[in-house]
Amino acid sequence: MRSVSRAVGLLVLAVAVLAFPSLAPDPFILSVGVVIMSYAVLATSWNFVGGFTGYISLGHASYSGLGAYATALLVIHTSLNPWVAMLLGGLVVAALAVPIGIASLRVRGASFVIVSIAMVLILLLVFQSWGEFTGGSNGLRVPRPFDESVLRPEQHERFFYLHAALLAVALLAWWAIDRSRFGTGLKAIREDEDKAQSLGVPTFNYKLTAFVISAFFTALGGGLYALWFGFLDPIFQFSILVGSYMVLMSLLGGIRSLFGPLLGAVIVGYAVEFFKNQYGDTQFHLVAMGLLLGLVVLFMPDGIIPALSSLLNRFRPQAASIREVSAGDLAEQRRTASAATSTDDESTDRLSEGAQR
Amino acid sequence: MTDAVATDTRIGLATEGLRKSFGGVTAVDGASVQFHHGKVNALIGPNGSGKTTFFNCVTGMIKPDAGRATYLGDDITGKASHKIARAGIGRSFQLCRVFPRMTVMENMLVAVRSTGLRHLARPARSDADVDRARELLARVGIDHLERSEARDISYGQQKLLELAGVLMGDPETIMLDEPAGGVNPALIDRIATLVRDLNAEGKTFLIVEHNMDLVMSLSDHVVVFDRGRQICEGPPSVVQSDPRVLEAYLGI
Repeated sequence: MRSVSRAVGLLVLAVAVLAFPSLAPDPFILSVGVVIMSYAVLATSWNFVGGFTGYISLGHASYSGLGAYATALLVIHTSLNPWVAMLLGGLVVAALAVPIGIASLRVRGASFVIVSIAMVLILLLVFQSWGEFTGGSNGLRVPRPFDESVLRPEQHERFFYLHAALLAVALLAWWAIDRSRFGTGLKAIREDEDKAQSLGVPTFNYKLTAFVISAFFTALGGGLYALWFGFLDPIFQFSILVGSYMVLMSLLGGIRSLFGPLLGAVIVGYAVEFFKNQYGDTQFHLVAMGLLLGLVVLFMPDGIIPALSSLLNRFRPQAASIREVSAGDLAEQRRTASAATSTDDESTDRLSEGAQR
Repeated sequence: MTDAVATDTRIGLATEGLRKSFGGVTAVDGASVQFHHGKVNALIGPNGSGKTTFFNCVTGMIKPDAGRATYLGDDITGKASHKIARAGIGRSFQLCRVFPRMTVMENMLVAVRSTGLRHLARPARSDADVDRARELLARVGIDHLERSEARDISYGQQKLLELAGVLMGDPETIMLDEPAGGVNPALIDRIATLVRDLNAEGKTFLIVEHNMDLVMSLSDHVVVFDRGRQICEGPPSVVQSDPRVLEAYLGI
């Protein structure tokens, strides 16, 4: 029953995503769709660390930015195919994430958050100052992967599907980890890292692996964005705001859910574009985002998906805290009880445990 | 009687001059202790005598400042706690620790040994592991709670879950930090029975406990701590009447 409804849900989601470009009324809405898809890729990638291990990185723009610049520089300086460049860029960033992870995953909680912010600020300064290589604050123009004859709306449509494909791969990877032993270990780290380690989970290697996977997908998201947008500026690439969006989207949708970050990206991405469009000259979209984050943390700390599913669970039969015993079992118990007295303790014990709750 | 015990005693966990300070407080002060393998060992002592810090030093939760810890002759000093767990020492925590936002079954599956990358990709819910987890949950008497989140079950049930989770890793030696703390008398009996049965099956126990009736009835070997070091050891009957123990506890 549950798996059927899940399959139907997946089908509806896939159809909605695939149909969007042909339903979009104009190229602007289509480009908003691409932006939202890009956010969805980034948030889902962030969720490999944030959702599984509970390590909240506010500086994940480090990896999308590095991925974007790695892709762009490879395309500019080598004759590589842009898609190969993007993949290679992702691998370079994943390799860079190993030492960064080793250094930053040594600390937990607020310290980890601060290290992740420091990282993105360092990268911002480096990419701004190293002008001859990165283009500095003047920005970097990225050659388009498609021919000149492919017009804007057509470009948007292709990139929408490319982002959707990358998102599908990221979701598949997240799903596979979620149900694996590796995933169980990661979730145990999120709940109680020391306890997990005491049970034999090599916690550091686990979280480092999750961190590198996350950086890889985030970098691919950045690279794809670079190829679509065609222009990179450090101030937008290495921005704390982009990292905060990833966190906000994931928290809003629910970091424990596969589709949480995607749902969050659709809501936040749409809201951001709406506010930018309506109040473009002001910073009102930032105020609105701050307000939204506050509301989520206060009223839906687990996110929308868990809040909705717990609402649904109220209509399902409840699990009993006391073992349910059929009349036949009871008769059997009474019979054995006359032989051995220990059964008696057992049942009173269960009663008292039930009463404790 | 004591001689007979001494001759067939094999030393499991042991420390030599173990020391750990927190700022100006020396919690463990040169503790040299030997625990008997295959037996139920108890570690007792007044509050603040360093029992839990000793536990944490031995299981790799914190690094000792000086001294050595060995397990069956192998040096385990300062090793990471997951390595010590894999060497065959499982432990519980003083204030019972479970994974609150995971189900009872997921809690059990965390402790499944998974070395090597090819194990990592395997689904967490392999039938063999789930069956074993159910068996252990049934053994401690909470198999009916399998699908509940750990935060939703009672404290006593959480304690049983923690014990079952430790057993899931199949350790040779099980260290329990206050297994009877904060649980009702019926449950204490159940835990005591479990310890006795598991010991009969070959598990070694090392128990920190304040419930003296439980300690004296359960253990084969008792080590008494005061101010971070061992002041006395022996079978319960001997330790009970030792003047140093009475002094440490009552200040006489």
